[in-house]
Amino acid sequence: MFACRQVGKSYRTERGVVNAVAGIDLDVPAGRFAAIIGRSGSGKSTLMAMIGGLSRPSAGTIEVGGTDVWRLSETALAAFRNEKIGYVFQFASLLPTLRLIDNVALPAMLGRRQSTAATYTRASGLLDRMGLGGYLDAYPSEISAGEQRRAAIARALINDPALLLADEPTSDLDEQTEIEIMDELLAVNRELGTTLVLVTHNLALAEQAEQIVHIANGAIVA
Amino acid sequence: MRLLANLALQNLGRRKARSLLLIAAVAIGSGVVFTGATLMRSIDDSMAVGFTRLGADMMVVPEGALTNITAALLTVEPTDLVLDADVLAKARIASVARAAPQKIARVEHSGIGSHHELVDLIGIDPALDFTIQPWLREKLGRELQAGDVILGAGRDAPLGSQLLIFGKPHVVYGKLGRTGVGTHERGVFMSFATLETLAASMPQRPAVLAPGKVTGFLIELAPGATSLQARFAILSAVKGAKVVTGDSSLSGIRQGLAALLKGILALMVLMFASMAVMVSVLFSAIVTERRAELGLLKAIGASGAQLIGVMVVEAVIATGVGGVLGVTLGVLVMRLYERSLVYYLDNIGVPFVWLDLPHTVAFAAAAILLAAAIGAVGALYPAWQASRRDAYDLVRGEG
Ligand SMILES: Nc1ncnc2c1ncn2[C@@H]1O[C@H](COP(=O)(O)OP(=O)(O)OP(=O)(O)O)[C@@H](O)[C@H]1O
Ligand SMILES: [Mg+2]
Repeated sequence: MFACRQVGKSYRTERGVVNAVAGIDLDVPAGRFAAIIGRSGSGKSTLMAMIGGLSRPSAGTIEVGGTDVWRLSETALAAFRNEKIGYVFQFASLLPTLRLIDNVALPAMLGRRQSTAATYTRASGLLDRMGLGGYLDAYPSEISAGEQRRAAIARALINDPALLLADEPTSDLDEQTEIEIMDELLAVNRELGTTLVLVTHNLALAEQAEQIVHIANGAIVA
Repeated sequence: MRLLANLALQNLGRRKARSLLLIAAVAIGSGVVFTGATLMRSIDDSMAVGFTRLGADMMVVPEGALTNITAALLTVEPTDLVLDADVLAKARIASVARAAPQKIARVEHSGIGSHHELVDLIGIDPALDFTIQPWLREKLGRELQAGDVILGAGRDAPLGSQLLIFGKPHVVYGKLGRTGVGTHERGVFMSFATLETLAASMPQRPAVLAPGKVTGFLIELAPGATSLQARFAILSAVKGAKVVTGDSSLSGIRQGLAALLKGILALMVLMFASMAVMVSVLFSAIVTERRAELGLLKAIGASGAQLIGVMVVEAVIATGVGGVLGVTLGVLVMRLYERSLVYYLDNIGVPFVWLDLPHTVAFAAAAILLAAAIGAVGALYPAWQASRRDAYDLVRGEG
């Protein structure tokens, strides 16, 4: 599904250059469930953002589905993010002024590949599946953090992405909610064949993955 | 796109106080500019009409003639004394821009009005005249021709009707507006040719009706010339004449108002410029505040144009509404002060005419469009800058 070659990301700060990610080579075939583990600050989120087309690498190349992502034009990159990637952030990421149903429908509306009616039907179906069928008209501030995370997953799935990147989607949630959310993600991976990359601190969760990537100090350790 | 427009609207609603302040600021700015522009044009137009109507700067009459000096208007009074019609033309005086000759004959038993009424028959040279024709309030839809007369506002006869003068039929060609000056109010004006033809029918012919003679001249000074210069030049060139100067304060008012209007224009330009800067500063702050949301939009696949669109639409809605509000306020304020303004201008002899409706509407549309454009321009740069950043940096609240 995707291939990273010597990918690196460095930030210039007042204290000097920080190498958040340095020389990562990584191959994940299509349809696979991969887990990324590592200590806080090891560079997991940075790597995910580069794969998902959100953060430009300082070095190396990333191919997703055969396309060299960071050589795309701005417009093509926007379309790539919209069509190919489903991204679940580590933190709350819904637009506070839109209802849940609008939040979920938004990526499809941006791409305009479907009629509005079809998009909204699909969005309400996804929210239903995430157990949020009763909150279609609710605003993000009116639901809990776990519910917001589930709505964010529904949004990530609205365009049927080939690659689902979930950055600690269950952090700061209780165990029961974590299990429910993980079940949904795994179901998407198995039933739709969506490649799933999951960043987690939960080793038990990581163990269910077909591929475990262990990162320390911005590099992969065996 | 509806959702993005929705987003822009909701964002405005989220910070109600700030949005209202922004709208209020733009409303004040565009209201002032709209009102200023409309008033300026109205006053300008009124003055253009008013001052051309105000007539002459000075007049040249025979020594010993009576003159009538009013605040607004110099008029020649009937007299038996005459000047040669070509004295000024011969003298070629540089400080004189225009000189309009007039013949005035005060006659009895003319057939106009009651039997013994004294009527002023005033001959003008339509080509040279600049003090009578600007007062024409209504006229027939053709050029003045032989046999036509123009009536002062104090006389009543329908346009186009026949008027017998010394038994000869004449056509009422036009009527003058009110001037408040007796000779004008009750005068009967006609071309020299008409008046000379009429002279043949008069029992006794006044001296001034002899060909080549006039009662006096109304003078417009050349630009930059002083009345003192013109007076000396005329007195030394024309024997037996006297020069009468009008109220000089009026040209002062004219110049003063012109300077004032220029100042207002400069202020309006500055006002719009400061509004643009203010909106731009505000929106760079708003963009900074919202970069996480913008980053999120970018992350889910919004294009640069869509990102900029959300911010620009938000700005344009706010400033556009401000513009509409400002214009509405401007109209109300002008309605409110209409009376005192018109009264004041009337007092200095300028009949106030409002800018016509199409122009006012155009000004209103321009003020609203400009306000909206300021929003667009103000938001464009910060939005464009944000749209170029990495989505991830924006989401994390950096950049
Ligand atoms: N914009 C930035 N500027 C400077 N340094 C940064 C920036 N973003 C990340 N870093 C640094 O890069 C390193 C990796 O950060 P990253 O967020 O990828 O870690 P992580 O593995 O996801 O951690 P966590 O498990 O806490 O989410 C950290 O040391 C962080 O301080
Ligand atoms: Mg992280």
